[in-house]
Formats: sequence, C-alpha cells, structure tokens
Amino acid sequence: MRAENYEARNHPPSNEFEINFGPNHPGIEGNYALKVKVHGDEIVAARADGGYLHRGFEKLMEQRLWIQNIALVPRICVPDPAPMEVAYSMAVEQLCGLDVPERAQWLRVLQLELSRVAAHLFTFGGHAATTGMYSPMFWGVADRDLILDLFEELTGGRVYSIYNIPGGVRRDVPDGFLQRLSDTLDYLDSRLPDYDNLLFTNRVFVTRAKGTGPISQTQALEWSVTGPNLRATGLKFDVRRDDPYLVYDQLDFDIPTEEPGDAWARTLVRRGELQQSVRILRQVVERLPGVAGPIRAPIPNPLAWKVPAGETYVRIESSKGELGWYVVSDGSEKPYRVHVRGPSSMHAVQVLEHLVTGARIEDVAQIMFSLDACPPEVDR
Amino acid sequence: MSDNELVNQQFPVKVEQPGGSGNIFARVFDELTAFCRSRSLFILHYCTGCGAIELPPAMTSRFDMERLGISPMVSPRQADILLITGYVSVKTLKRVILTYEQMGSPKYVIGICSCTVNGGMYWQSYATAKKLNDYMPVDLYIAGCMPRPEAVITGLRQLMENIRRGEANGWQDYYQRYDHYLGHQQRLFGETWQTPTDVIAEAKHYGLFSNETLGEHTKLLQQHQKPLEALEMRLGLDSKDKVEP
Repeated sequence: MRAENYEARNHPPSNEFEINFGPNHPGIEGNYALKVKVHGDEIVAARADGGYLHRGFEKLMEQRLWIQNIALVPRICVPDPAPMEVAYSMAVEQLCGLDVPERAQWLRVLQLELSRVAAHLFTFGGHAATTGMYSPMFWGVADRDLILDLFEELTGGRVYSIYNIPGGVRRDVPDGFLQRLSDTLDYLDSRLPDYDNLLFTNRVFVTRAKGTGPISQTQALEWSVTGPNLRATGLKFDVRRDDPYLVYDQLDFDIPTEEPGDAWARTLVRRGELQQSVRILRQVVERLPGVAGPIRAPIPNPLAWKVPAGETYVRIESSKGELGWYVVSDGSEKPYRVHVRGPSSMHAVQVLEHLVTGARIEDVAQIMFSLDACPPEVDR
Repeated sequence: MSDNELVNQQFPVKVEQPGGSGNIFARVFDELTAFCRSRSLFILHYCTGCGAIELPPAMTSRFDMERLGISPMVSPRQADILLITGYVSVKTLKRVILTYEQMGSPKYVIGICSCTVNGGMYWQSYATAKKLNDYMPVDLYIAGCMPRPEAVITGLRQLMENIRRGEANGWQDYYQRYDHYLGHQQRLFGETWQTPTDVIAEAKHYGLFSNETLGEHTKLLQQHQKPLEALEMRLGLDSKDKVEP
C-alpha cells in the first residue's frame, strides 16, 4: 500500500470494536473464524465465519464409486475419523441388505471406542490449553499417541485408517494385539488420577470453567445439541443406548450426565465417557476371542458394484454427538445424493454464537473448545 | 516515476549467497550467518487442513520438535517458517497470502500433505486451490496423506540443511517474480485483489527488485489499489435488525 493512499478512516465515536477470532488463532480449533463485537472486554455480538475448510464432500461423493468414497469420508472429521467410516458403511449395507458378520461388528466397536478415547484426550488438552495450562495438552497428546500406535498396528494408518468397508472390516486383529490393548487400557486407568490432580481438581481450571457458557436443557433441545454437550445439561440421551447399533445392546456401560450444562460439566461428562469407553473396550477384549467367524461378508466386484435404488438414514454416536448419514441411491455405481448430519455444525454455529454473546473475551476460546466442535465437519 | 524508469533503475543487491563472495572473511561470515539462521526457527503453523492433527505429536514430548531448535509461534511477525498443513480452499488462500506477506524476510514456506502439491484427494472440488506454488513460493513439500510426525521432522531437517547451504530462497523469488505470483492470485481472486502489504516497496528495500517484479498484473493492481481496508473484517451489524439477542 502506497503511503499516499492512506486515508484517515471515519470511525464513529464508540466504545465498541470488532475482533476477528481466527481463522489463524491459537484459541480456535482449526481453520475457523469467529467475528465478535466487544464493548470493553464483554462481547455484545458474535458471528461464526466458516467456509475456510469447505471441500464439497457431498458433491465429491456423487462423482465417485461407492467403494471409493470409503477413502473420502474419514476426512470429514479429522480428530475422530472412525465413526464416519462406520456410519457410511452401515448406510451402504442397509441399502444392499448386507449382513455383517458378528466378529466384524465387535471389531467396529473396538475401533469406534478407541477413536472416542483418542478424541476425548485431545479435547481435554485443547480445553486446558485455552486456560493457560499446557501440561494437560502434552499429556493428552502423548497418551493419544499410544492409541494411534494401536490403530497403526490394527489398520496400518495412524489417523486415517480406512478400516471399515461395506460388509465388514478389512483385517482381523494381529497376534498379541488384545494383550497390548489391555495393557494400554491399564495404563489409561492409571493415568486418570493424574489427570484429576492436574486438571479436574485444578483450582485455576475449575474456577474458569464453572459457570462459563451455560446451556439449559430446553435450549439444548431447541438448538439440536447432541452428544456430551447435551448430556452435560442432564438429559440422558445416547444413540448407543436408545437406538442401539452393532453390538452395543450386548455391552454393559453407563451414560454419564451432569446438571449445570456449563463448560465444566461438558468436560466432566467427557471424562466420564472416557472411563466408560475403557470399560467397553475391556468387555471387547474379554469377548472378542470367543466370537468366531469371518470378518467380512462377500461383496460384489467393487468396480462394478451397483447399489439397489433406495434411501436410508443411519445414525451413530460419535465423540462429538449424533452423526447421521442420509444416502440416496438410484441404482447406479455412484451415490445419487449423500448428506452428512454432523453434530458440530449446530455446536459451532448457532450454539457458539449464543454462548459467547455476553461472555468475556478471554472465555471465547474456552467455550469453543468445551463445545468440542470440529471445523472440518462444520464446513464439510 | 514511471514503471519503465522503475524497471530500469538499478538497485544494489544486499543479499549475498554463502560461498559466492570472493573475500574469504566475508564468505566465512556469510556461512556462519546461514548456519545460525538455520538453527533457530520459529514456525507459524497455519492449520489449514487435516495435516494439523499430526503437528501436536511432532511438537510435544514424543517426537519433540524443539530439540531441533524449532518451536511454534502464534504470530506471523515473529515467525520464520509458514507451515501450510494441508488442503487450502480459495477462501483460506487469501488469508494464507496475507499471512505470508506479513512475515518478515527471510521467510520459508513448507507445504504439508498431498493437497498442497496438487489438490490431492479433492482435485475435483470446486473449492480447492491446487498447487500452492503457483500463488506463493514453496521451499519444501512434505507429501503424503497425511505425513507422519517423523516425516514432518525429516522435512524440517531438510529445510534447515537447505537454509545452511543458502538454497532456501523462495522468499527472494517472491520479490523477484512478484508479477508472476500476482497474476495467479488475480486469476483466482479477481482483478481487484490486493493485500495491505506493499511488496514492490519491500522488493526495493531488500534489493531484490528485478525485471519481473513489475508487469501487467502489478499495473492492474496499482489501478485498483484502494486505501487500506481490512480483509472483510466488518461484522455487518450496523443496522439494528441484524443484531442477535
């Protein structure tokens, strides 16, 4: 900009000014922006500004074969990719009328719960870092890496595993895997008291998180809040229990809930879920060796696979909330229409805009992390 | 001063390549500078896409990037390396270029993931900006979908080595061939595209003004150049009816 082109801008005399949170900001999880209008340090208005991560998944999927889309779907939510694969595979299976072998269902539960633990560990770290505590972040990332090692052993990929295909899973567990999984679960159990000491009973964290960004149960239901954010308002709703899929009806687990619906409650619910996921994984370790049979139903030649015409909606519980896939087939080799109902688009747009309005500027990052919204899933 | 005069005007070249100088003391000093520069690097990790998920493991205790003297930094003014972690949409690319131009020279760009190389898995998508080095000079690509933390660290070590040998000169290329990069940017963003940074003046400042700094695209830029306006920072809440409760 040439110096002679500068002009004094006519600012109206006001105490209010605008601030951009993101798209490149340490307090924003990913490439996402929030525009806020502040008066002093209080926020008077806010608007979410997405679209930085928009890739056009739903359009791209219409241009690819049914089987090729398996590689595309985990990219929709990077920290928690497994539920995307599983839900898409389940939708295709429903359209084709495929029966999934029981062993494959157990392996899918194994992958889903491991993914949930990894995602929650990552969220703890991110939430703690927004209140200025970086040690929980280092711990969370380091412990998450142990789970990524297990993924690597099971599927070959650390983050994007592409483990599920319609009809079952690609590989069986390697020798000694269940023992190593069991050891990792023991380690995670032994780490939980450390996390409690470091984070969940930390006075700085408790004081900052309690009462921050509260949602009432009525509001939560009006805004389509799902997952841990909904259970933090006291409503005991979990797709795994209320609309069971895979083998969740054979498993024994609790649904942790909290009452106040603030940032503190949301984090506490996730901590409880992590414990329950470990409990589920222990049951999988115990019962998987007794489930014999194939891991994959026979599917037609994937390159000329025509899925019967029809439409279906499949929903599962991801670590962020209820994840739905609406898939329409016109009987050809490619999907006619695909729509993803991601939980984050509700959390990161309307809920976030309402919660930060009236909050103080230092709590914006914390509110966003406690909602655990995933920007790639918002933009899709 | 007309454009032709600007082009013809000779500017002294301040930047010297290590090993290029005849004076042995000057050469030793240049090599020492390049060595020191390669050993203290701040990263600005712009989390544009999926690749950002492998950076926390690379930065924290397991792979520990800081043992190489590289540490993350949140502000472009303090950073040396711009890490583009994955897929770049057209909307993001504007901000990436804005960020790149804010960084002080010498600055280096690393493109992580296949998406920065050629659009990767989203080569068909209408929203994707493919081939990052059309829009800004990229010193190093780390390919893969997504590259493991080990690959990220190997890439950073390679960049350190390139800096030590004086081969990571993408930032000079941006000044010397600004018209080329601006042309690609204008094709994507429209002819009225501008950033607040005066790259041409910076090119003169660093002594990197060349025949290709100015051209048809910079001429277009100067026609459209407006007073400094922040990039779409308006909230649009001026009228009462738009304010949410």
